[in-house]
Amino acid sequence: MIATLAKKEFLTNLVAPRFVIGFVLCLVLIPFSLLINISGYRERVAQYRIDHEAAEKAADEVRVYSFLRPEIVLPPEPLAVFGKGVSDQVGNRVRILLGDKPLLAEGKTAAGDNPFLASFFSVDFVDIAAIVFSLLALIFSYDAFSREKEDGTLKLQMANKLGRSTALAGKLLGILATLLPVVAFSFLLGGLLILFSRDVPFAAGEWGRIALLFGASLVYLAVFVFLGLLVSTRSRSSVTSLVVCLLLWVVLVFVVPAVSSNFAGSFFAASSRDNLDRVLKDIDKQRDDAISAAFKAQGIPEGYSCWWCWNDADGRMETYGNPREEFEKFRRRAAVSEPIRLEYADKKWAPAKAYLDSLARQARAAERLSFLSPTGLFRTAAAALCRTDLAAHERRMELARRYRETFVAWLRGKQIFSSFRWITPADPAAFKTEDELVTLRTGGEFKTARELEDWASKQTDARAHWIKVSQVKVAGDRPDDFPFLDVSDMPRFEARAAALSEAGPAGLWVMLLLIEAVFLFYAGYVAFIRYDVR
Amino acid sequence: MFRTVLRRELLHNLYSLRFLISLALLIAVFTAGAVSFVRSHAADMEKFRETRGQYLENMRALAGRNASELAVRRQTYTLAPQTSGFIADAKEKYLPNALVYSAWNVFSFQNRSGSANPFLEKFDELSWTFISALVLSFVALLFTFDAVAGEKEAKTLALSLANSVSRGTILAAKLASAVLSVLAIALAGVLTSLLIVVALGSEGLSAPLAAEVLGFLPVAGLLAATFAAFGLLASVISRNSNVSLLLALSFWLVFAVVIPNSSTFLAKTLFPIDSAETIQKNVDAAFDDLNKNAPPGSWMMNSGNPFLPQHELRANLQTKRLAAEKGIRDAYYQSMFLQFERTRLVTSVSPVALFEVLTEAVTGGGYLRFRKAWTDMRVYQEQFLSFFKALDAADKGSPHWFNPSENVSTTRLPVAFEKVPQFEERPMSFADRVGPVLRYLLINVFVLGAVYFLAFVLFVRYDVR
Repeated sequence: MIATLAKKEFLTNLVAPRFVIGFVLCLVLIPFSLLINISGYRERVAQYRIDHEAAEKAADEVRVYSFLRPEIVLPPEPLAVFGKGVSDQVGNRVRILLGDKPLLAEGKTAAGDNPFLASFFSVDFVDIAAIVFSLLALIFSYDAFSREKEDGTLKLQMANKLGRSTALAGKLLGILATLLPVVAFSFLLGGLLILFSRDVPFAAGEWGRIALLFGASLVYLAVFVFLGLLVSTRSRSSVTSLVVCLLLWVVLVFVVPAVSSNFAGSFFAASSRDNLDRVLKDIDKQRDDAISAAFKAQGIPEGYSCWWCWNDADGRMETYGNPREEFEKFRRRAAVSEPIRLEYADKKWAPAKAYLDSLARQARAAERLSFLSPTGLFRTAAAALCRTDLAAHERRMELARRYRETFVAWLRGKQIFSSFRWITPADPAAFKTEDELVTLRTGGEFKTARELEDWASKQTDARAHWIKVSQVKVAGDRPDDFPFLDVSDMPRFEARAAALSEAGPAGLWVMLLLIEAVFLFYAGYVAFIRYDVR
Repeated sequence: MFRTVLRRELLHNLYSLRFLISLALLIAVFTAGAVSFVRSHAADMEKFRETRGQYLENMRALAGRNASELAVRRQTYTLAPQTSGFIADAKEKYLPNALVYSAWNVFSFQNRSGSANPFLEKFDELSWTFISALVLSFVALLFTFDAVAGEKEAKTLALSLANSVSRGTILAAKLASAVLSVLAIALAGVLTSLLIVVALGSEGLSAPLAAEVLGFLPVAGLLAATFAAFGLLASVISRNSNVSLLLALSFWLVFAVVIPNSSTFLAKTLFPIDSAETIQKNVDAAFDDLNKNAPPGSWMMNSGNPFLPQHELRANLQTKRLAAEKGIRDAYYQSMFLQFERTRLVTSVSPVALFEVLTEAVTGGGYLRFRKAWTDMRVYQEQFLSFFKALDAADKGSPHWFNPSENVSTTRLPVAFEKVPQFEERPMSFADRVGPVLRYLLINVFVLGAVYFLAFVLFVRYDVR
């Protein structure tokens, strides 16, 4: 009997205009959202290649260890084609520094090169699925009983030897059987677009996650079907049921997620970034003072002069062509300053982590509040399945921080901070005295630095000293005289995507969705048992 | 006759369940939005005051050190959080909201880090604009989707038309009643929200704010009318209300959800701009060219001796570098503005996108506000430069070789901070607001007229039996 009822319901729905319009909606919106996101993915891959190449080049083209600052460039997530989550906002580049632990990733966001485009929002497959599937579920279920009651066919049915449970089961199966092909078709279409696009690399793991997303979509669909049935059994007319269902749809799909984010923003305030920057700046100042104090304690003078030197933030220093004693001064400075820099990086991490935690707390509050709606649960589960949720990002950043520790340990293992190789590729055995350098550079015209100074002080052209010492090019005076550093033994960052077996949290959210579905089904069942069919 | 039909339709709407539920929903959402705004605005203002204090303190310290240091050091001016953000936030937290300048140039703009939480998926503020764009537009469709098809099913349409009433009158009355019903709901929400903001907020109800509130209502009416016209169109296309509902919902999905959310894709596809990397390469190439052609000694510097002759060469080179970079970057910024504006124009086929642009003009926020601040900052920068040059001219200990990037060869005297001209963002005038969006207003009126006309033509041919 259930099969007969389900078949009747299925065939009735199949010939209804709402099926055709619903199907056309999916046919238009699903490919549209996927094509937009495939295009976005291609753009991100192109940018990734540029960034990755630049990072590799930068790592390969250093001559001293001091300038070695690996940059991690994370590849774009192929599953973001289905659900972007926060992947478009969090950046994909992490620079490994000595003075700071990685805080936030950098890199272009979805807005690309134009920051004004950041004010435009975008939708993806998951968003469209959340909107359209729920709408279809309600459109097919809002009048399941109220319409039949109005037509008088419900009491006719119930006058036969037909249990209410059987009638309800038949109705439900009929509706689900109508909607199942629509959902399956949407995923099939999505899969085909991925296959035909060729440049979105989907392996078995990715297909497995899409299969799980399909399962989650079915549960989500069921929640709204049961909700529609519940409203239908509690309404006197199909018009009332329709109005209630549609307003519920707007509330659950659009309003609750928006209210959740707003309330999280207002009631779970994130720490001020400006404040963090000020705190970090203060710690940097303390660090610089500690370095100066250490220099003083060890008798290292603050000032220095060099023939060719380039220094940059985070203690980067590269120098050439100096007298032996100047090189030694630089070596001693680094041996003192870099361990202190590392020590203060740990101190800076405490406020930085507190800031990160406040951001994460706010985001999680928005997520949890959105669980008031099945759409919030579905989108959270989908982002987890697509590896584009906050947890996936935090996992990647944690790996980046661990990589920094490995990198620092590798540097320490080489005892590189107290080595000349930290600041220059020149061989210490070939270092010369200042007088030897003056003699070489002036082609023997001056024998000592003192002699040259005395001569220069009598000249009117301030460039006189410089012109004299530039007469003869001495090997080792410039970076080009040295090959790039061989860093083949440097540990490399390995990004490992979470395996299918690690989709635990998504399973939890789907389970919650399932509980919601069971609850709504039960409520609908009870309501139908008590329903006045006359 | 129009008034009679309108009255009947209006009463029908006001007594309907959909009106009551919509009213309750709208009041709840407006209340949530107002409460949320009051809290977040207070926190934003506190953060902003800290940032502004730091900015002024920094400038005061530089002025106390010396005038050249103040002139060449880049400053970041942050725009204040908008007080009428509860009406239309115009997505300001995602837009550039800080201007980087010195006395020599307005260099760039940026979205200050911390404006938006990167871990939180992008979301709309629960402003009147968002609520209206999403919920009011939907409610407008709910009032009209069965206006014709529903009456046909109920057999009341044929009865109505059996009287001496024209089809045009009936359709116009249905449109007017839907708009008035939606506006009544909107007004209830708006008043609730305003009451909360004025009672709990720190700003109070000023005359400009009252003008913005009054300006919002006709724009909301235009939105409601446009969607109501879409609802009527769906209703006259179909023979039964089920189909017209689905058509109306499809319209809504496309115009309120899909098109506004396709803007980034459209911008990049239809109006591509150069990448930041290309621009940087162009700047680097221009710098290389200038360096190669610079006279020897142009990079020589002795900070202890401002009159070192090479400092004049250095100042000339830095001035040329600044001009070269400014030329390249300003052209790039123009391409960004154009990309954004053209995309907005393309997406203006959606009444929701149009509504967002119009409410942005009503509150004088968002992109319009940024563009005005960007233009005003350039005027200010010229004043700041003139002020600095006058200071330098008065200092006999300065070589007067203007170097826009370094404190090397210009006055080293301190300056009283109170005398330094300060940039203050000025409120937008009526012309500033209306001028740029007039075409969007005309487009909206045209869309409304076209959809209504189409609905009218189809209704004239509609088989009411």
